[in-house]
Amino acid sequence: MSKKMKKYIWKISTIIICFSISSLVFAQTKTTDECLACHVELDDELLTPAQNYINDIHYKKNITCAGCHGGNPNSDDTEISMSEESGFIGIPDKATRYEVCVNCHANDETMNNYNSSLPTDQFDKLKISIHFQPSFDNTGPITDCITCHSVHNISKVDDPRSKVYPTKIVSLCGGCHTSADIIKNYNPALPIDQVAKYKTSVHGKLNISGDPNVAECASCHGSHDIFASNDPRSHVYATNIPEVCAKCHSNAELMKGYNLPTDQYDSYNKSVHGLALLEKGDISAPSCNDCHGNHGAVPPGVESISKVCGSCHVLNMELFEKSPHQKAFTENDFPECETCHGNHSIRYVTDDMIGTQESAVCIECHSSDDDNNGYFVAGKMKMLIDSLKNEDKATKEILEEATQKGMDISDSEYSLKDVRQILIQSRTTIHTFNLEKFKEKINEGFTIVGKARQAGTDAVDDYYFRRVGLGIATIIVTILVIGLYIKIRRLEKKT
Amino acid sequence: MYKWIDERYNISGLLEFAKKKSVPAYRETIWYYFGGIALLLFIIQVLSGILLLMYYQGTEDSAYESVKYISTKVSFGWLIRSVHSWSANLMILAAFIHMFSVFFLKSFRKPRELTWYTGFGLLLVAMGFGFSGYLLPWNELAFFATKVGTDIAGQLPVIGEPLLKLLRGGEDVTGATLSRFYGFHVAVFPGIFTVLLALHLIFIQRQGMAEPEDWKDLPESERKYIPFFPNFTLRELLFWLIVINILAILAVFFPWELGSKADPFAPAPVGIKPEWYFMFMFQTLKYIPGKVLFLHGEFVGIAIFGIAGLLWFLVPFWDKRTPAGKRNKLITYVGIFVVTFIIVLTIIGYMVD
Repeated sequence: MSKKMKKYIWKISTIIICFSISSLVFAQTKTTDECLACHVELDDELLTPAQNYINDIHYKKNITCAGCHGGNPNSDDTEISMSEESGFIGIPDKATRYEVCVNCHANDETMNNYNSSLPTDQFDKLKISIHFQPSFDNTGPITDCITCHSVHNISKVDDPRSKVYPTKIVSLCGGCHTSADIIKNYNPALPIDQVAKYKTSVHGKLNISGDPNVAECASCHGSHDIFASNDPRSHVYATNIPEVCAKCHSNAELMKGYNLPTDQYDSYNKSVHGLALLEKGDISAPSCNDCHGNHGAVPPGVESISKVCGSCHVLNMELFEKSPHQKAFTENDFPECETCHGNHSIRYVTDDMIGTQESAVCIECHSSDDDNNGYFVAGKMKMLIDSLKNEDKATKEILEEATQKGMDISDSEYSLKDVRQILIQSRTTIHTFNLEKFKEKINEGFTIVGKARQAGTDAVDDYYFRRVGLGIATIIVTILVIGLYIKIRRLEKKT
Repeated sequence: MYKWIDERYNISGLLEFAKKKSVPAYRETIWYYFGGIALLLFIIQVLSGILLLMYYQGTEDSAYESVKYISTKVSFGWLIRSVHSWSANLMILAAFIHMFSVFFLKSFRKPRELTWYTGFGLLLVAMGFGFSGYLLPWNELAFFATKVGTDIAGQLPVIGEPLLKLLRGGEDVTGATLSRFYGFHVAVFPGIFTVLLALHLIFIQRQGMAEPEDWKDLPESERKYIPFFPNFTLRELLFWLIVINILAILAVFFPWELGSKADPFAPAPVGIKPEWYFMFMFQTLKYIPGKVLFLHGEFVGIAIFGIAGLLWFLVPFWDKRTPAGKRNKLITYVGIFVVTFIIVLTIIGYMVD
């Protein structure tokens, strides 16, 4: 069969199929769309839209081509159907084409007429989003409805044929966000490796395998109301992230399929990190993505935990890595920081965590029967910390007494402020698990406290010395006054 | 030893002279001691001031720190500083009492006009000492009190602006003001004070103590006197010792606070108050409305105090009846009014925020 023949047969069968489908649809809806009837008979670029539109959700809702392009769909005379009088606009202008979508999708009444359950605020959200800003070549907004949802072959979001179906959305967003040529026009600093990273993540791998329930771009960033991640309105702004992740990870029904716990969000909320981020609004506090990554999200492995925590707690990590615990933890497959501090529910660290008492984490591994001296070191460290805190408190009381007595001991009070810093540093030094190094640091505190205590005691002593001195001086002067008085009396008696 | 000195310097002659001097003895003699008390306190000021000078540094960066160092580190530095501050206040108080006693006893009358003028000058310089010395620790309260005080001076017409700049050494209270006040406090004022004090004492020595008005009509035999030396001198010494005791108790039990360092960028603290001897003027200025006719309220206040001060100063001129031997109740009434005004306004100043 010649090529020409093949093309001819293909055309005829397409027309027959299209005709049969349209006849069927027309028969069902009792509507005649002359535009479609005519365009299915045309070639290439005039045919394709008509071919696609038959599968479009709008077509199924009885919306004719004229719904977007204007014109009279009831006339087969192009002079009439495509006339200006009939409101024909042809291909809508790129800058304003979103208006044809908005005309219906932002109108509650219209949407109700189609028994639609779709929200009507998409455009309200889109028009304030970062995507609706003018494009660099000023041809309209950076993205509009058609950029993502396409045209003529639009399907419902939950229809696998839809461009924005969860398993397709990554390549849709990636269309622009992996292109340096496009992105550099808007934000040269914005990375373009998100899709590459996403593909390495647990979410990405499952998404590629066809799982529509795992997180994709829109799950975290939102769909219409997308903002830069440092914009507090963004779904992925630091303080919003825990809730975004919790949408899925706190959903027991959804997580059942992945065999994952759902208590992370509740634990995190009560943790030191959660309280700092969500209650104090401290955006430097870690959120889910700071430990798990964002686009390349995976649970940190046992060995990488100290690296993850160490990205903020640098000193602790460095000291831990040089400590004897590092080797022991690796050998026993203990997650590093997590073993003592927990993961999502990390609480405020208190000095009761160290030592040999019931509340101490040390006794979970060390006992007094141990051959090594871990138990002894833990007890000694706890004793030294408590001792410095008690000394500090007692010294403050002495200084307070001196202040109440009107003595100026502000220098000593000021020097005591360093003790707080030394206590913090000592607590960090605990991560060496080396008693000598710990003593070296904490002894600085004892020295300061000792000097301040001496100064306070001296001040109190000086206070009493002043009063005794005053008493003696007053007695001497009073004796002189009395003597002088007697002398004057005698002198004046004589005269 | 006495003989050795007497041979050379004729001490006996001086004692003879002192013994011949006499002081009227009557129910108001008590007031005669306050001049001497003010003198004692001035001597204490000079001595304690010299000791403070050895450690004080009059610059913006180190003034506060040096005073803190004096109070905390220097042996008995706290005592010297506290004595200096208390003695300054007691000296002004003694000077006020001395001045009012002279006023009520009409001792300013002829031939003692110049003693009155020099005394008034001494009081003004003493207040200048107080105002300039208040800033020297460079603490917060002093800084803002100086700001307010110099602001008031700046309200004067014509000379206000240049006077403000002269006092401050610029537009604002800065390190330049501190240097300037330090200079006034340890060089300019002591120089003026010494000259006025010397004149004041010479005048007293030359003219003797004033006698009460009604003694003019008494016969010589009914007038009672006590020798200046040793009787009056020993009595004065007795008062001095009592004052020294009071001063020591105040200095030990109520050490002068230093407060926090002045921060020119900090907002003015609540309840800035001047030294107590400026309080009646400060409080009066608060009651004068912002505008009086077409004049600034503060200017009107300063003008009133200026004129009142001038009239007070010139009392020997306008009190013509007393020297003529007639009673002048107006003087007494004016005195009572002024004392009452000062006391009441000072109390209100401390009670009202």
